[in-house]
Amino acid sequence: MNPTARVTRWGSLLALTLVVALLCVVPTTAADKKKAKKNQTEPVQKTETKVVASRATSTPAAATALAQRIDTEINKRLQAEKIQPSGRSSDSEFVRRVYLDILGVIPTAEQAKAFLDSTESQKRSKLIDDLLTREQYGRHMADLWQAMMLPRTSDNRRLNSAPLTAWLADNFNKNTPWDRFVYNLVTATGNQEENGAVTYFLANGTVDKVTDNVTRLFLGVQLQCAQCHNHPFTGWKQTEYWGMAAFFMKVQPDNVNKAAKNGGKAGVIEKNGKVNPRRLPESAKMVPAKFLQGEEPKLKTTDPYRPVLAEWMTARSNPYFARATVNRLWAQFFGRGLVNPVDDMHDNNPASHPDLLRGLAQDFANDHFDVKNLIRGICNSEAYQRSCKPTASNASAPASVYARMAVKVMSPEQLYDSLTAITGSVKPERPVKNAQKRPQTGRDAFVNFFQVEEGADPTEYQAGIPQVLRLMNSNQFNNTAVAASLVRAGKKPEEVIEHLFLTTLARRPTAAERSKLTALVEKNTARDAYADILWVLLNSSEFTLNH
Amino acid sequence: MASLNPLNHLSRRDWLKLSAAGVGATAASGWLNVLAAHAAKTGARHKACIVLWMDGGPTHKDTFDLKPGTKDGGEFKEIATATPGIKISEHFPRFARWTNEAAILRGMSTGEGAHGRARYYLHTGYKEGQGGLIHPALGSLVAAEIGNSDSPMPNYVSVGRAGYGAGFLGARHQPLIVNDPARGVENMRPLVSSQQFDKRVGLLEEMENAFFKDYKATSGTDHRTTYQRAVNLMQSKEAKAFDLSLEPAAARAAYGEGKFAEGCLLARRLVETGVSFVEVTLGGWDTHQDNFDRVKKLSAQVDPAMSALIKDLKDRGLLDSTLVIWMGEFGRTPKINARGAKPGRDHYPRAWSSVLVGGGIKGGQVIGKTDAQGATVVERPISALDFLSTVCKILGIDYTKVNNTPNSRPVRIVDKGANPIKELF
Repeated sequence: MNPTARVTRWGSLLALTLVVALLCVVPTTAADKKKAKKNQTEPVQKTETKVVASRATSTPAAATALAQRIDTEINKRLQAEKIQPSGRSSDSEFVRRVYLDILGVIPTAEQAKAFLDSTESQKRSKLIDDLLTREQYGRHMADLWQAMMLPRTSDNRRLNSAPLTAWLADNFNKNTPWDRFVYNLVTATGNQEENGAVTYFLANGTVDKVTDNVTRLFLGVQLQCAQCHNHPFTGWKQTEYWGMAAFFMKVQPDNVNKAAKNGGKAGVIEKNGKVNPRRLPESAKMVPAKFLQGEEPKLKTTDPYRPVLAEWMTARSNPYFARATVNRLWAQFFGRGLVNPVDDMHDNNPASHPDLLRGLAQDFANDHFDVKNLIRGICNSEAYQRSCKPTASNASAPASVYARMAVKVMSPEQLYDSLTAITGSVKPERPVKNAQKRPQTGRDAFVNFFQVEEGADPTEYQAGIPQVLRLMNSNQFNNTAVAASLVRAGKKPEEVIEHLFLTTLARRPTAAERSKLTALVEKNTARDAYADILWVLLNSSEFTLNH
Repeated sequence: MASLNPLNHLSRRDWLKLSAAGVGATAASGWLNVLAAHAAKTGARHKACIVLWMDGGPTHKDTFDLKPGTKDGGEFKEIATATPGIKISEHFPRFARWTNEAAILRGMSTGEGAHGRARYYLHTGYKEGQGGLIHPALGSLVAAEIGNSDSPMPNYVSVGRAGYGAGFLGARHQPLIVNDPARGVENMRPLVSSQQFDKRVGLLEEMENAFFKDYKATSGTDHRTTYQRAVNLMQSKEAKAFDLSLEPAAARAAYGEGKFAEGCLLARRLVETGVSFVEVTLGGWDTHQDNFDRVKKLSAQVDPAMSALIKDLKDRGLLDSTLVIWMGEFGRTPKINARGAKPGRDHYPRAWSSVLVGGGIKGGQVIGKTDAQGATVVERPISALDFLSTVCKILGIDYTKVNNTPNSRPVRIVDKGANPIKELF
């Protein structure tokens, strides 16, 4: 492994990210200002005020309180059920886990080593703080949310999603308060170039699709069943669905076909006046706009509707919004929601820890919807820092009591980024010939190939034989350059073996592994032996699982 | 050290060692049952299905539902077939000998007229985006329902293109994709010598055992099982089915030349080894322009390959258990458009044709009828649901069965409202 080469690669990636971010941010800001000036009375102004207030208030102290709240509630139930939780994770387990969960990539050997060898007493919480300031955090969060925001349909394969990725990454990195974040997404207008957030509507470009996605993602409810029939469990009537859908009746994609043909700018407009009925499905019911289980607001036909909905959704008093977000972020780190599935929150599907969910949602709203602080709280909790290894007492305890940390399977993005950070190959295996489609990177192709259905259990191993064959036998992840460079570096076999373990697993080899593998190197050509060891490590459960 | 290659040499002692290490139930089903399944193969044959997917939407009026002598009837002639009264395009002379094994469905009527949405609909039976789900394609459903889960071979193979996948059924039922039949499955060969590969697998096995011992995670067991199956496939004798060079030259020649011909030959070899579902794609049917020249050339690719496939299956006693389907995502306009010097036909989902062969159906029939222009189905219309439920029924699959999504939403294999074509049984 050549550390210099790696630094350069990360450096260029970082530079690229910055360029992309800059390209997208500047026009967005300008457009926002213009819009704000034009619509002096619109709620955009209101949310701007919210933001200023929130920036000053997040403190590490708040995160400690969150962590305490989590542990009090989790431990209360464990005690009540007489289940002994697993011990604290080792430093190796922790450093790998927290890198994967916050940055979406495993630590380098150097990063792992620095953490393992540090004797600082607060090194875990310092690492959490540090990771949350890295650019890669925004990119990882963008990956996660984009996967939920862009349904993988044939139409969307042609959609240029890069502006949304950049917009999401930028806002996650800036830690835009979640109420304003979602407000801006749900009300976005303009073209993709000036406002990447419009891509969300372009990907969910009909009244029913956008209603389904917005309610699932940001309110945690599966309203879509009620599109065609009354919901069997929740008492949501079809009219409830179409009452929410009514807020999206005026928004339309703009210039999309022309943009696809001539390379113009696709965008979104919210028109005044009537809806174009061609865009409604057969099941559509024309009912007055009505908040979910709430009132019918007075809408002016001359004004856009979405800001009214977004204002209600993102209010501190909204009964769904903070709960849904807290639950989703919890699931990102714990592999399951306090309410599970995360987008199926209703009375007949109660939380495993109702007081905890209620409390965290309140804290989140009171803390000005500060996403990074919530993450800080979660990652500092004992519950998050527990080992995944079961004990005799908790081996058969259900996952919902959090007696031990869940073993999660790396997402395709995490796997690709972690593999290429080690093997260095970033070329796509096959060039994409079809010019109609948006250009595909090697990462896109890999992610498509390993993709799992949205909503699949993140603790289940989903890959099939074709995926495994690629990992074992493709040139992409088995280039001989890595082993060759290790030989050239002229280090002792023990050192190289340790380096390989730190690189892939963020741990040092056990005594047994060390002696067995050293013998292997001594009995064979060093280059072959190092390649063998790297192959084994990269193809192991311990690598592909986040534990 | 137990090896990951169960077929090679697995002693009882190795086996017990693994069980003791906690590799338990999943591994058991992957190992011992492989042998059991091989022994059982002499019994009743599993059904299988081969879809010849005519991508782009093949023109019904110039293939299996000709309207010669009418306005916009086109320039092709009809020819008689082995079945008295059934006539098809002159460009399917070889297939014409096999119509007694086939049912030509002339009443397809499906309503989706854009390629992407129509492909999705005809592969899954659900409208794209319905309920926010990605629905499993027929191949994945068949693999899940009647595939041999213990075979080293995959149960769904897609030749010539990505194919539609498993959707909410999960990656286990994704198709194995063969881009170029002459090259076989990608990444099937180790990058190192088989000796070195075995050594790597042996070391991996140790890592896996150690990890499982500490973490006892089911994801770890599943990971291990998937690797076992992949290594198994690489080293199995069945995987030779992917190697077309093992086929005698004369047998290959019968299929004609080109990737589609090779794909059909590969499909036969796969079905022979017990693969449940193979889809072979032939693109180029989107004939908005130059319809007649192009369809003539395309037919010349389909005719020998499809006929050789049917003959080979028949000769091997496999035709009664193997359903061969010729279809695309829709038909093409009854009218010839006025586009340029060499006009064509445009997308048309309202009335079109597909062909079913073998699988134990009653052959020698035409089911459904279009009007004089081939524009409207006037007799026995067949919806996408009717069609897919028919295919399920032929393959012995209960199409009313409910699968659950990861979020526990019940979704039927074929949605309500399906009427299988009873004339076939």
